[in-house]
Amino acid sequence: MLLELKNIFKWVQSGGQRVFLLKDINLQVQEGEFISIMGPSGSGKSTLLHVLGMLDGFNEGEYHFLEGDVHGLKEKQRVKLYKEYIGFVFQSYHLLDELTVYENLEMPLIYKNIKGAERKAMVADSLDKFNIVGKKDLFPSQLSGGQQQLVGVARALIANPKLILADEPTGNLNSQQSTEIMELFQQLNQEGVTIIQVTHSEKNAAYGSRTINLLDGRMI
Amino acid sequence: MIKLYFKIALRYLFKNKMYSFINIGGLAIGIASFVLIMIYVAHEKSYDRFLGSENVYRLYMDYLEGDTYEPGDVMTYNASGPELKSMFPEIEDFVRFYYFERMTFVYDDLILEQPIGSMADASYFSIFGYPLLKGAPEKALERPNTIVLSSTLAQKIFGIQDPIGKTLKAHWDSYETVLTVTGVMADLPHNAHYRNNYLISFATEKTWGIFNEQQLRMNFNMNNYYTYIRVAPNTDIDQLRQKIIASDVEDSVDERHNLEHIEKIHLYSDKPYEVSVNGSATRVNFLTAIAFIILVLSWLNYINLSTTKSLERAKEIGIRKVSGAQRPQLILQSLVESTLINLIALGIGLVLAYLILPLFNNLIGQDLLLTANSLNDIFPYLAFVLFGIVLAGVYPALLLSSYNPTKALKGKIQTQTSGPNLRKGLIVTQFIATIVLLIGTLMVTKQIKYLQSRPLGTNLNQVVALKGEIISTQSDSLVTQSFYTYKEEIERLSFVENTAVSQTYPGDSFDNLSSTKGITLPNGIKNTTDIFYTYQAQSDYFDLMGLEWVAGGTFTPTTQDNSKQVVVNETFLKEMGISAEAIVHKNLSFWGNQEWVVTGVFKDYHHFGHKGKLLPMLIRQRRGISNLLVKLDQKALSAQGVSGALSQLEAQWKEQFPKSTFKYTFLDQNFQAQYQAERNFSTAFQVFTFLAIFIAALGLFGLTSYTVVLRKKEIGVRKVNGASLLDILHLLNIDFVKWIGLSFVLAIPIGWFAMDRWLQGFAYKTELSWWVFALAGIAALLVALITVSGQSLQAALANPVDSLRDE
Repeated sequence: MLLELKNIFKWVQSGGQRVFLLKDINLQVQEGEFISIMGPSGSGKSTLLHVLGMLDGFNEGEYHFLEGDVHGLKEKQRVKLYKEYIGFVFQSYHLLDELTVYENLEMPLIYKNIKGAERKAMVADSLDKFNIVGKKDLFPSQLSGGQQQLVGVARALIANPKLILADEPTGNLNSQQSTEIMELFQQLNQEGVTIIQVTHSEKNAAYGSRTINLLDGRMI
Repeated sequence: MIKLYFKIALRYLFKNKMYSFINIGGLAIGIASFVLIMIYVAHEKSYDRFLGSENVYRLYMDYLEGDTYEPGDVMTYNASGPELKSMFPEIEDFVRFYYFERMTFVYDDLILEQPIGSMADASYFSIFGYPLLKGAPEKALERPNTIVLSSTLAQKIFGIQDPIGKTLKAHWDSYETVLTVTGVMADLPHNAHYRNNYLISFATEKTWGIFNEQQLRMNFNMNNYYTYIRVAPNTDIDQLRQKIIASDVEDSVDERHNLEHIEKIHLYSDKPYEVSVNGSATRVNFLTAIAFIILVLSWLNYINLSTTKSLERAKEIGIRKVSGAQRPQLILQSLVESTLINLIALGIGLVLAYLILPLFNNLIGQDLLLTANSLNDIFPYLAFVLFGIVLAGVYPALLLSSYNPTKALKGKIQTQTSGPNLRKGLIVTQFIATIVLLIGTLMVTKQIKYLQSRPLGTNLNQVVALKGEIISTQSDSLVTQSFYTYKEEIERLSFVENTAVSQTYPGDSFDNLSSTKGITLPNGIKNTTDIFYTYQAQSDYFDLMGLEWVAGGTFTPTTQDNSKQVVVNETFLKEMGISAEAIVHKNLSFWGNQEWVVTGVFKDYHHFGHKGKLLPMLIRQRRGISNLLVKLDQKALSAQGVSGALSQLEAQWKEQFPKSTFKYTFLDQNFQAQYQAERNFSTAFQVFTFLAIFIAALGLFGLTSYTVVLRKKEIGVRKVNGASLLDILHLLNIDFVKWIGLSFVLAIPIGWFAMDRWLQGFAYKTELSWWVFALAGIAALLVALITVSGQSLQAALANPVDSLRDE
């Protein structure tokens, strides 16, 4: 088992009342799964994804990741953990505008203290794998949306994570670009990467092996 | 990794050109101003440092004024040094100087007038650790009629010949002597307060004939000598001072000897009879304060801009954090960036300082150089700059790295999280500084205007003082006769309105004005404590200078050399406590019971401008060769021009005295020169205030451009809901107006306190008028509004659809 959420509650205090963002979430994810999280706006999809990605904390419950207890970890250790095992893909790509494609891919490796020569090799592999060698010296603004997301996915995968978390990865893309990205995810999943994506689209959800539906912070 | 950070930072700077320009520009101007001022300050603080200077002190006289002793005269007696040395073993040696304002040297056909030199004891070279290039330091000034020349002067007189052993003639006030050159000393550096161009052995005073028997005797009656002493290392100076005072070596309760460290003279001493015009610690302190204010202003600017800008970079921080960046790495990156910006600014600032140095020199009337050496001199201050650079980067770095990644990625980091109070604080601080500087500038300008507009009590317009050293083999009386013949001849020239003779004139140096005390008044009262100042003039002097009479009048014209007639001024009467009626046409006596008749009392005039108090004056009649004052006729002059008139005066002088020098001085220009230091200070103040305002405006400009971006949505929503253009402008500008209002309120007491202190240094001071403060506040407000309004207007005019569509 890759991870397990047990009775996760998350709330914010608003006007003296608790507003629940997540209510009693129980979830087990096995390695190699491709899960889609669906639900209307405000149902807690992104919050759940952030909790899974350890970017956000929670108020109650337990989170086990690879048999370790996330809820008991300090921030520094959490960063270490997700740096090692998790890659993120965003709706609006979130590439750094000042960096070239090559440098965007290299960035996470730098933070993992990987040596220069090895970094070079890993970035070269990635560029090759995603077929963007020709774009390596371009800046994000010089790429189309689909290409930018391709770089985003490549960046998420560069450090060989066990888990990819994707927050509406095709939300800003047209249908052809969407299909390409989803096919890429499918292929990656077949190669053994666990993927959890948040999506609005039934069509995209269909690429996954399992769908979780959320409503008002609760799994249904 | 650092290399990568630098690369990213550089790209960022290039991408945000406007931001980089404002940031680096402001810092560079701040650093350049700081460096320039500090070089000047370092120069002013570097005076009189030589080998052994730490143990060299100057003796001076305190005079009893009322109940307290005040510094009265920098000159001491010829017995001061020898007596005190024999009494106190901690005084290892002394050197006395008899100062010559100018001296005329004759060698073969060369006649050369040279300013500033002295007769000095042979101990000079053992006290003043300046190098002697040729000759033996212990022996060079031992024998009478020997002279040591500065290398420049030696070269002027002897060219490439070896001057050692050569003889030349020296003329001073028609006294002539023959001197043998026994040494060549290095030119004294610019930062020496006593810059002798030559030194004549002290023993020469016995052979020259300038002094009479009485003057040559060791005495405590005539203080005409500067005395410097070298004390044993680690001497307790306060104790020595007390011992000297207790010894009462001069045997008089009205005065006492005191001493001051030679290194302190330039900045802290402004006593009567200073050997040169000294600097001013107040001015140096003010400029130092301005330098620091400007530097801090530019840092505040930097902090302000980068924290505002950091909001824009929140997304980047989010992405980096999600990609695994930890806080120390982000802090490091931010610091690398700020260091880069500051280093670029430091580089540009230094280049800028180098480029504007000539202008700056002009401004402050200095001759400073920007070299590795001068940078080394201000190294502690540069270290301060570097320290500030790091500090200025820390806050934005901490702020940036603290962003929560999920919030940052959603764009939820808003102005409030980055501390609007801090930014307000920074802006208010900036404007306090700006307004204080504005108040300072206005007050300094006002004070100088005030000094210049005060009536002097004398008319210096179109008056030229002619003076030359006459070298002649004729007897003194024949030369004097020729001098007066010349005077009569030029009086007949059409452009000469009038002529007169006097020893000195308003605005001239202290050198030609004697101070003395001990007088018996006509009413029989003997006054031994009050000092009065005296010089010689002819009967035609008062009329030409436009001096007015309170009682009596000028001297009865006489061809006698010394008719024992005097006139006094009103201040003299006040200090001596005697009325005009009680003194006019009556006799008084001073200087060993010599009797003088008072022919008149003249109205006070300002001999040294309005910086100091009015002096009690007594002017003696004497026919002799002195300054020949010539009043030019404005109307007759226009045809010929001033230079034409002067060359004609010179031509006739040379005709009368073929072997002589000729020098002319315009009295009004010379008088204005007394305010030169204040005027330079005022100009420097103005320029740096302007720069400070410019920096503050830059910061405000940068800040508004981002506030406007941040509030774009708000502006859009308000406009959609019916806000007018004016409403939006009001919304955007009201904050600045409030902040400046607050700054103004806080700046008033600071400005008042500082300028009140500055004015203390003047005997006549202008008021701290309310309008100065108001003007400063309004100027600051205007600058701020003009800076802010362009961008506010742009934002207010924008179509709300564009700003709201981003959602």
